[in-house]
Amino acid sequence: MKKTVKSEFSLFVGERTDEERTLIEAFFSEFDLHFLVSKRDKKQFRADFESAIISLYGQGVPMEEILSRLSLANLGGFYARPSTVWFPLDNAAKIYPISMEHGRQQVFRLSLYLKEDVIPSLLQMALSFTVKRFPSFATTLKKGVFWHYLDAVKKHFPIEEEHDVPCQPIKVSLSGSQPFRLMYYKNRISAEFFHVLTDGTGAMIFLKVLVSEYLRLCGVTAAKSDIWNANDTPTNEEFENAFVKVEKAESGSGFVDKPVLQMNGQPARRKPCRILHFKMDATELHRVAKQHGATITAYLLMQMFYAAQAATDELTGDLHIQVPVNMRKFYPSKTVRNFSMYCGVKIPIEKIGNKAEMIAEINAQLAEKASKDKMREMITAAVNLVNSIRIIPLVIKQPIAKIVYGFLGETLYTTTFSNLGVVNMPSEFCEHIENMDFSLGAQMTNRLACTAITCNGVSTFSISKMTADPTFEEKMYRLLTEDGIAVAVEGSEYYAR
Amino acid sequence: MHVKQTYPSIKKGSKNRRRMLIVLRWPFLLAAAACMIVNLAVAGPLWGVIAVLVLYIVWRLILSPDLIEYNRMSQSIKIVVWTSILLAFIDVLLAHGFALFVVPIVCFSGLVVSIVLFFTDLQRQKHNMMPLILFEIASIIASVIVLCLWKSPNNWPYIVLLSLSAFCLLAKVVVLGRDFKIELQRRFHIQ
Repeated sequence: MKKTVKSEFSLFVGERTDEERTLIEAFFSEFDLHFLVSKRDKKQFRADFESAIISLYGQGVPMEEILSRLSLANLGGFYARPSTVWFPLDNAAKIYPISMEHGRQQVFRLSLYLKEDVIPSLLQMALSFTVKRFPSFATTLKKGVFWHYLDAVKKHFPIEEEHDVPCQPIKVSLSGSQPFRLMYYKNRISAEFFHVLTDGTGAMIFLKVLVSEYLRLCGVTAAKSDIWNANDTPTNEEFENAFVKVEKAESGSGFVDKPVLQMNGQPARRKPCRILHFKMDATELHRVAKQHGATITAYLLMQMFYAAQAATDELTGDLHIQVPVNMRKFYPSKTVRNFSMYCGVKIPIEKIGNKAEMIAEINAQLAEKASKDKMREMITAAVNLVNSIRIIPLVIKQPIAKIVYGFLGETLYTTTFSNLGVVNMPSEFCEHIENMDFSLGAQMTNRLACTAITCNGVSTFSISKMTADPTFEEKMYRLLTEDGIAVAVEGSEYYAR
Repeated sequence: MHVKQTYPSIKKGSKNRRRMLIVLRWPFLLAAAACMIVNLAVAGPLWGVIAVLVLYIVWRLILSPDLIEYNRMSQSIKIVVWTSILLAFIDVLLAHGFALFVVPIVCFSGLVVSIVLFFTDLQRQKHNMMPLILFEIASIIASVIVLCLWKSPNNWPYIVLLSLSAFCLLAKVVVLGRDFKIELQRRFHIQ
């Protein structure tokens, strides 16, 4: 494969003018200085550059412009230095490697749809240029005596064509294996992250930088943009454990609660067994939510309660939807690590009825449980818990944590709803972007997990299904269309086996 | 509700290790129970315990390998440790008197293999050296204790193990210098 690419490039160079050949030779003359990586990785980087040059030239871009876009300076010397840094896990991330099992890993996925098919060679280059801006992403998960940590790794981070079930566990066991994967399929760029690395907000920052790099390589630049510049130097604040900066509350609120109702449906062997995206016009959705006197989050939560009620045969008990809360809105931080907590909206199934009452209840619970004070109490509890067990060796706390997580974990809530909100892109980029979606990975007990994201005027409500039972999504679809919202449903097949 | 397919079709069949483990768990448990029951029924030496231990080692090393840090260093050390434990059990339960002599030989042989694996891929393996360091420290402590308590001409394997472990530990400190210190800081952090 590599030989083919190389010979293809030699042929390509042979066919160019003397002037172009000189430019290419000059470009590669300092190539080796930028890579202090294994021979194999260096060859791969070289092949990436060659493929990108061929691809851009095929699009009619002049050679000088190609080499300027692909300038080695975009690497920022990242691969020219040995890896020395490491990152202790933030407070939220500590539980993820401890509770991990074969087939069980907290993975989530962000996808962005372009108006044209993705060019793999340029996406690969975009990743190589982007990853240096996120040193905490260019890492591998390691096991310490007391806690896991992220160890910096300098290597070729490959992209792959999508061919598997979304949000599958990421293999983090091998030396240098990164806790994220970047894929493409037709016009879609998808990034999947092990939650140990970042939360939805951090992942979004990464994806925006990556897409802006990709579009830059395609020749699209934005005059004014709040997207991070891939060539800026990372600052300490960007990978801080922001939880420890939050002032302590007088008392910490606990995480322990009683188990709640689960939706019915036989859990599938493959999880998630289906991904569904409900694409809606954002203005229409906003208008309908406003009519109900609710935010989009509260409105969708209300519909989820109705759909969840339909998807269970139980007549008594609580339905509990877990809602992640971005802590950055209370404590401004530039961190790309985890910095979110959870609140729960709980409604007894027998009280699910009148829409106005439901909205009032959801609004009240969100206002109370997602308040700064409540979140501060929860963070205090989390920080205290981590501090109290920090000197217990992992070999002791890991089995205990696994048992506790197995007993409680997902049984405390019926499902999850994570709304990443509105993603703003520069107008120049919007011309090339269709929309985005966001999906959560496998749940062991919950039958599904839901998310929402709005980009380029399209709101996407996504469902990651763990059961074949179609009741929830059919009910959700009916409820939304009954409210006058036009819904286009996209998604995967049912992964039966 | 019409669903427009926007994901690639995936191949049938599964690579899911979790499913494999769920399926294999029962034959393994059954085999372990059968060994113990037959062993107790026919009486005699407790070979059933050895059989159960072997099943457990196969499970841990082959069927359900480490999810984090599955690398040549961790696996070679694990094999040596489990082999030593197995030999110790065989000594106690079946054939007495050989383990005290054989286990240190297994340990220093394993250490030699691990050291070769380590120094032949130093740049990568220096990030994986913790199991090796812990093994060397444990070997030094164990050798010192045995040499203090067991004065015999047959204790030469412990002298070899002690010397080799100390030498390897020192070699790493010398070769890696500051990297060695940083590695220890990472591994023992409590942040």
